[in-house]
Amino acid sequence: MSAEVADTERAGSKLRKKWFAVWAVIGLLVSLAGSTAAHENSNPESGEKPGEKIDRTMTVDPAAIVTLCVASGTLKVRGWEKDEIHVRSLDAAQIEFKRIDKTKDPAKPAMRVDVMVLDRSAARNPRLDCQALASVEMDVPAGATVQVQTRDGDITIVGVAGAYAGSQNGDIMIERATKLVEAGSVGGSIYLKDSTGRVSLSSAGGVVEVMNVRPSDDEDTFEVGTVSGDIQLSRVSNPKVTAKTVNGTVTMTGPLAKAGYYSFTNMAGDVVLGMPHDASFRLIAKVSEKHDIVSDFALKYLSEPPTPPPAKPRTPAPGTGPVVAPIKVEKPVSVTQHVLRRVNAICGTGDATISIASFGGTVRLKKI
Amino acid sequence: MTRCLDEGKLQSYFDGELPIEMMESVTSHLASCVTCAAAARELEEESAFVMSALATEFEASVPTERLRERINEAVLGDRLAIAPSTQKTSGLAGFFSGLLNFGTQRTLGYASLAVVLAFAAIVGVVKMRTTTAPAQVDKTTAQAGNKQQPESNAVAQTSPDRASDEIPELKLPVRETPKGFVPVRYNKPAPMSTSPKPAQVKLIPGERSYLQAIARLDSTIKSNKKSMRPALQVEFERNLQVVDRAIAATRSAAKSNPNDPDAADFMFAAYQSKVDLLNTIADARVGGGRGH
Repeated sequence: MSAEVADTERAGSKLRKKWFAVWAVIGLLVSLAGSTAAHENSNPESGEKPGEKIDRTMTVDPAAIVTLCVASGTLKVRGWEKDEIHVRSLDAAQIEFKRIDKTKDPAKPAMRVDVMVLDRSAARNPRLDCQALASVEMDVPAGATVQVQTRDGDITIVGVAGAYAGSQNGDIMIERATKLVEAGSVGGSIYLKDSTGRVSLSSAGGVVEVMNVRPSDDEDTFEVGTVSGDIQLSRVSNPKVTAKTVNGTVTMTGPLAKAGYYSFTNMAGDVVLGMPHDASFRLIAKVSEKHDIVSDFALKYLSEPPTPPPAKPRTPAPGTGPVVAPIKVEKPVSVTQHVLRRVNAICGTGDATISIASFGGTVRLKKI
Repeated sequence: MTRCLDEGKLQSYFDGELPIEMMESVTSHLASCVTCAAAARELEEESAFVMSALATEFEASVPTERLRERINEAVLGDRLAIAPSTQKTSGLAGFFSGLLNFGTQRTLGYASLAVVLAFAAIVGVVKMRTTTAPAQVDKTTAQAGNKQQPESNAVAQTSPDRASDEIPELKLPVRETPKGFVPVRYNKPAPMSTSPKPAQVKLIPGERSYLQAIARLDSTIKSNKKSMRPALQVEFERNLQVVDRAIAATRSAAKSNPNDPDAADFMFAAYQSKVDLLNTIADARVGGGRGH
């Protein structure tokens, strides 16, 4: 009797366990189904899951022109050997390629492509171009020209033919560009190195640093300008170099191009040029009466600077600072009182020309 | 001078009423302050508009303050002329003493005359109270002077405008306000050829085009309804101050060395920096697209 009761209780316990297991499985299935539906609602169009890397590829011409534009986010562009654009992002909801060549022959690879990066808000309104908040990485053919723009993030471009980059507050770093570089930032700094070709850089408040840049042909100019940021140039051998700043210091070091023309203009900062000891140049300088030209090089003055007013005779302080070469006066010029003075001098055979206009700073010519 | 100029100071600047130091200061400020430069230009245009619109009225023989002064002078001259004549009559003391030495009949005659005069005075006072225009007061005074001393023709000689039929012209002409006209204070139209012309803003040659370009860019930046992001705003303001200081310094040097082209070159370079900066900001605000 007791054995029968025990069997009956054991059978009831098994039945409860089975029911429990069945309900548990059903509950699990229902919960999984609910979560999947919610996810699809959150991203119905793209089919991409949040946090998932979006990856797009397109075949393009080796010398294609590619534009990429976001409102905020870091942009990294790298040149590679494939004739493809490869774009990826962790933040974007959608990435599309918009071919904008005039002749849209499907048989030919695209020559001009806009990379459309859309975040969730932009995905609902495709007209919100350049409004995505997303960091993007992109590979392009090494012969391509890229035009990249972001508002807040940094930009890095490496190994392309042409680079146009713009950022309001982010920094811009460009390396190994081969044909041209144009970059502008309002508050960020700009760094360029190991590049060739025409260069134009501007930043209002940021620093501009350039290292090892040379021309790809004789017409390649180098221009850089800031308002309050310093300019530092090292080994720039373009035939024509122009650097302008309002309130920054201009520093250039390295050898001069053989017949190069170097123009430096500033309003309040110093101009410091570090050149090899055998540098050969002609110096044309306009400087303030209140500031000096301090030179390690033996300068031969071609004309005397304007005579200072008798009330304020200026004599160089001997024994302070670098040795100033003796001045040979060949053609004295009598000029009435000036706030500014001109210096026209030559060092060596005068191969390169250095033109300096410094309204309120000191000019230093250093040997390196 | 960092604060913006008020309209009164700007108007005085255009009228040449400021002392020379202040003129320099205002000029320097206008060169570096886009807002004030725009306001000054607007004021100048409005003044020119008003002057051209009212040119015919100014050229016409409208009685002016000067005429009024001349009338007053003439009236004063009459009064001064009365005094000696009065002294002269006081020399006839015997005659007056004879008049004053009256009997009963004369007393009655003088009493009746006094009553008539008193009545006339009351009527005159009542009439004067009803008339308040100063020009008419002047007229009354002038006519009274003439009555007192009709032989005095000094006023007529010095001022042919003094004829009684011209006096009512002292009322200033009623000017209809042109449509869209913004009231502007303008000083003394000065139709007299001897009056000095209002001082012009002395810009250095070539400077105006920069100021115009700067004003255009500034209005472009301000016309964008999107508010500037704080980071961009801060950077913009900071660099704008740097450029404005440079412009002020170089402009001062260029002005003190008008024969030095290098000084002007520095000033133009500073202006160009400001143009470049404003261009950058305008692009940053208006742009945001792909630029192709």
